[in-house]
Amino acid sequence: MSTVGDTLQVFHPLVAKYLRKERMPHMACPGCGIGQVVHATLLAIEELGLTPKDTVWVQGVGCNSRITYSTWVGDNVDAHHGRIFAVATGLKMARPDMNFILFTGDGDCGAIGGNHFIHACRRNLDVTAILFNNGIYGMTGGQVAPTSPVGAVTTTTPYGNIEDPFDMCQMAVTAGASYVARWKSTDFKPLVNSIKKGIQVKGLAFIEVLLQCPTNFGRYVLKTSQPQEVLKWIKEHSVNKKDAEKLTAEEIAGKYLLGEFIYRPERSGIVERYQEFLKKYQKE
Amino acid sequence: MPSGVKPGKYFVQGDEAIAEGAIAAGCRFFAGYPITPSSETSETMARRLPEVGGICLQMEDELASIHSVGAASVGGLKAMTISSGPGISLKLEGLGWGIKNEIPYVVADIQRAGPSNGVATRVGQGDFYTVRYGSAGGNSSLIALSPKSTQEAFDLTIECFNLSEIFRCPVFLLSDETVGHTRELLVIPEETRLNVVKRFKPTVPPEQFAMYPLDTPGVINYPFPNIGEGYGICVSPYTHNSKGYASTAQDIQEKMARRLVFKITENLGRLVRVEKQKMEDAEFAVVAYGGNARPAIAAVDIARESGMKVGFFRPIIVWPFPDGEVLKVAEKVKTILVCELNIDGQLSREVGRAAKGKAEVHHLGSGGVEPHLPAQIFNEIRRLYK
Repeated sequence: MSTVGDTLQVFHPLVAKYLRKERMPHMACPGCGIGQVVHATLLAIEELGLTPKDTVWVQGVGCNSRITYSTWVGDNVDAHHGRIFAVATGLKMARPDMNFILFTGDGDCGAIGGNHFIHACRRNLDVTAILFNNGIYGMTGGQVAPTSPVGAVTTTTPYGNIEDPFDMCQMAVTAGASYVARWKSTDFKPLVNSIKKGIQVKGLAFIEVLLQCPTNFGRYVLKTSQPQEVLKWIKEHSVNKKDAEKLTAEEIAGKYLLGEFIYRPERSGIVERYQEFLKKYQKE
Repeated sequence: MPSGVKPGKYFVQGDEAIAEGAIAAGCRFFAGYPITPSSETSETMARRLPEVGGICLQMEDELASIHSVGAASVGGLKAMTISSGPGISLKLEGLGWGIKNEIPYVVADIQRAGPSNGVATRVGQGDFYTVRYGSAGGNSSLIALSPKSTQEAFDLTIECFNLSEIFRCPVFLLSDETVGHTRELLVIPEETRLNVVKRFKPTVPPEQFAMYPLDTPGVINYPFPNIGEGYGICVSPYTHNSKGYASTAQDIQEKMARRLVFKITENLGRLVRVEKQKMEDAEFAVVAYGGNARPAIAAVDIARESGMKVGFFRPIIVWPFPDGEVLKVAEKVKTILVCELNIDGQLSREVGRAAKGKAEVHHLGSGGVEPHLPAQIFNEIRRLYK
């Protein structure tokens, strides 16, 4: 517990240990799912024994980034919109000994930064990327995202979205990431385990989290301001990968598959390959 | 890590000299995207950097190149990227991130005839203002150096790296296709004869260190702690306070804007570098920069042989623009002829502004593809000489 001004602040032990107290409280809207994902990330960090000395947080632009950047007690690098994987490439190549945890959004990673995302997966850059997918542009006020469902009414699709959403997990698998998984923000334990697995795996780990945005997705798409209603919608529109095998194509249409899509820990990435290459060609 | 300096005499292109200069300056990360006429630098870096334990990546696009370069510098490696007109347009997006966070690195621009794709393999000089004012949002200044020869491409690349550390900002090498593709003598001196500035490191503990010196806007030689050095640095594209925490406060925005401009404008004395020839008794001055300086110098020599009192002036550090030096020239001569490879008149406009009406300023432009010919410039001198 500590006092900031006249306010008595009680910090969660993980916040007290790993985040900058002067940057609290964070900016998330009431009912937002970002805090759940940050909680899972901090627990994964705690359980793996990572420290501010060996771990860097990297952000792009979007709600998740605006809320988490400059909060980690270690080094924080916040990129331009969409450039998170390009920035992570420079950082990781310069400091292959450090861990990089990336917080990116569906617009950051799936739209404006799509090309960098594809090529980071192709290079299998050894970083852990957590995609916060709220299905809408939250920070800018509820515009359609490449992940918005068909029919979604948003501020820039007032007559309903006519485009299909982007399955970024499939893209990550196809492009070559070592580990790819998707969870809901309420799948706390699987998410913690997944982040741990992602940090430990050699190569790129891509973990997508479907999370509730009552402020914008709720307001415009579902016509509700209640976080539990958005969570209910996510639950109804997602299905465990194994359970999906028993369903017909019609039954799983428009639903998000949850679970692990690929785990290939043996696949090497650019960091490891460059180190080996340097040993061969470095001349004294 | 080996220094990588290979002393000796070489017969190489300007683009290759940039790569050797970068390695000599300690550059250990290079990322680029192939574009004519700059690709020879990328190719040389790809061959040379692994020999010295450096990293060379061909990225997926121009944006990724400049962002990975900025990030590698945050990671502790001196870094460079390179491009030409259409690629520079894209790189400007990333340049803002480097300017804002005061990240030292070097961008080389091998100018070609534009606009848009223009003529990829041939010379132009249309990026003079692009590099200076292209980064969105204003509130910043910029340093750019322009070589006229292979030797200068080597020397000035080292100087670009040094200035990027001293001023903690991205620095441009504004070359062009003429210099980039001219194969001529390059002399690489012994390593001990090269002046290489190392990154400045904090001497105070992290809790006393301000990552961004907003309260001392003119300070240079300011430390840049990298990630993993215990300083808990915060790099961010948003306006931030001295710790790197985002702020929407007007006073923080004001301080940040002043810092990014004043660190250069309060140290202009460190940033004047010009070449003058035959200016002692000159009544007429020819001004040019980069590769186009070469026909200009030849034309001045022809004019002198014809008995005309003509001198030559060239900005080497082109940004910040050498206002004071140009004014001195304008006060001395009656007429100034600016020769450059664009029709719109970019260098001419700056010279005209700095001359403050003390001399007549004329523009001899060309859309590019070929540099000016000495005879073209001489004819213009003869027409304007009074």
